[in-house]
Amino acid sequence: MIEARGLTKKYGDRTAVDGISFTVHPGRVTGFLGPNGAGKSTTMRMLLGLDRPTAGSITVHGRSYADFPAPLRQVGALLEARALHPGRSARDHLRWMAASNGLPVRRVDEVLDLVGLTDVAGQRVGRFSLGMGQRLGIAVALLGDPPVVVLDEPVNGLDPEGIRWVRTLTRQLAAEGRTVFLSSHLMSEMALTADHLVVIGRGRVLADCSMPDFIAEHAASYVRVRSPQTAQVADLLRRDGLEVTAVDDELRVQGRDAAAIGELVGRQGHLLHELTLVSSSLEEAFMTLTAASVEYTTRDRTPAGATR
Amino acid sequence: MTGTLSTPAPDTVALDPDRHVPGVREPGFAQTLRAEWIKFWSVRSTPWSVGALVTLGAGLTVLVCAVSAADLAAGTTGEAAGSFITWGMTVAQITAIVLGALVVTSEYGTGMIRATLTATPHRGRVLAAKALVLTGTLFVAGAVTAVLGYLGGNWFLEQEGIGLALGDDGVLRSLVGSGLYMAGIGLFAAAVGLLVRHTAAALSIVLALLLVVGNMVMLLPGAWGEWATKLMPGNAGSVVATPVSFNPNLLGPWTGFAVFCAEVAAVVLAGYLVLRRRDA
Repeated sequence: MIEARGLTKKYGDRTAVDGISFTVHPGRVTGFLGPNGAGKSTTMRMLLGLDRPTAGSITVHGRSYADFPAPLRQVGALLEARALHPGRSARDHLRWMAASNGLPVRRVDEVLDLVGLTDVAGQRVGRFSLGMGQRLGIAVALLGDPPVVVLDEPVNGLDPEGIRWVRTLTRQLAAEGRTVFLSSHLMSEMALTADHLVVIGRGRVLADCSMPDFIAEHAASYVRVRSPQTAQVADLLRRDGLEVTAVDDELRVQGRDAAAIGELVGRQGHLLHELTLVSSSLEEAFMTLTAASVEYTTRDRTPAGATR
Repeated sequence: MTGTLSTPAPDTVALDPDRHVPGVREPGFAQTLRAEWIKFWSVRSTPWSVGALVTLGAGLTVLVCAVSAADLAAGTTGEAAGSFITWGMTVAQITAIVLGALVVTSEYGTGMIRATLTATPHRGRVLAAKALVLTGTLFVAGAVTAVLGYLGGNWFLEQEGIGLALGDDGVLRSLVGSGLYMAGIGLFAAAVGLLVRHTAAALSIVLALLLVVGNMVMLLPGAWGEWATKLMPGNAGSVVATPVSFNPNLLGPWTGFAVFCAEVAAVVLAGYLVLRRRDA
């Protein structure tokens, strides 16, 4: 179990993490979601004792990371930025890490096999592709067979096969009863992997709920209605208390399902060309939720010469 | 609220962290030391630096002795043979500095430091293990290099009848002292590396301090110049590594080495405080 309480990190004037509190429970995958610069990696670094919180605390099983005598056996971490010397072989990297926590060399071969790097274990990691580097990072995280696994952007640089492998692996780790804390800026990936979501933006928690709750609350849906008699249909639906927005030649109707809307329109004898339930994607829900907190936004540019 | 998945699992984790490792020990300093030893020897820069130290240190001593043996015997140089018998170490120290700086700065340059500190969050222990691996290696390499240089160089000196016996004043001390000075100067570079966290910056600072500033301060007027020269780390620490110093106005070998050790210790302490306080 991971607990953050009033966790704050300031770099000079800039507040990277602004008094966040959340709890990550064992036995499920908790997604840590936020746009770039939201404070995800800073939070992860404080969890691992690399950065010192300005205020508040983040603990694992009630203890600070630095208080574990053999932390790799308690918390396995994949760090976002590569934390490897390019001149060292994958096996040597795992060997020194194992030695530092009193783990047997046998464990090095086990994790190499688990992530599928046995054949290239003797190669220097500087020659590794991004995907191989990620696999090695996951091997590092699993080296101590820890009850808590923290993965910062694990699918970065992986091919579809690798992405599916990470997804299966994280689900399996959670099923074994481990605490799995997974950061990503990709909502689509989270939707497939996480049971629970902690969403942050600009260093604050925007949502902390189960995935189904998040979908119910934030992923809006509407029924698209197209008719040659747009005006009459809109009128009819509004009179029935439904929320109707006209966009181009279609109507977006909220408040009732497609069947009920179809019956209502049909009973009045209006013609229908289209009647479709449209669910906005989780990606859109996430974008809406974090829109205000995105650090660097792109603006739609006014075409050159269009200045007035 | 839908109610699905809203029941948090119990707070206790059934997994035993030690289940894979029957009879496991609590990792302590020995494990950190072992990890640093593996790290140290599993990158190419280490064998290259140590190889260069031995080759340059012993090779240049032999070369300098071979070239100047006749002049030394004739007494035309005004220098003692003892000043030449470990001469190669003055160049070899550069490789010790490179190795010392890299041990620290390569971790910051590559991001390795984050792996190091997640494996061993006790930062003082990491620094102590690093220092021990570095100084132990440099001491052995430095002493072996000095002995090889002595054996080779002395052969040429003996041809001219001015050979030095191991029992002669300062000879044995300079061989052991060469190891000590290499260890000290490497640790000095490592500590500067902790302060600046950048390979090129650390090397520039240490080399400038030793090779440029160390000689420039002689130009300061009067007692100022005299003492500044005596106290500069390279000048104070290197006397122990030679039977007879070229510069007769420096501190005695052990006094100088004690001053040098104090200087190194001060920079190491500063490096330790920075390592503890700063975010990695």
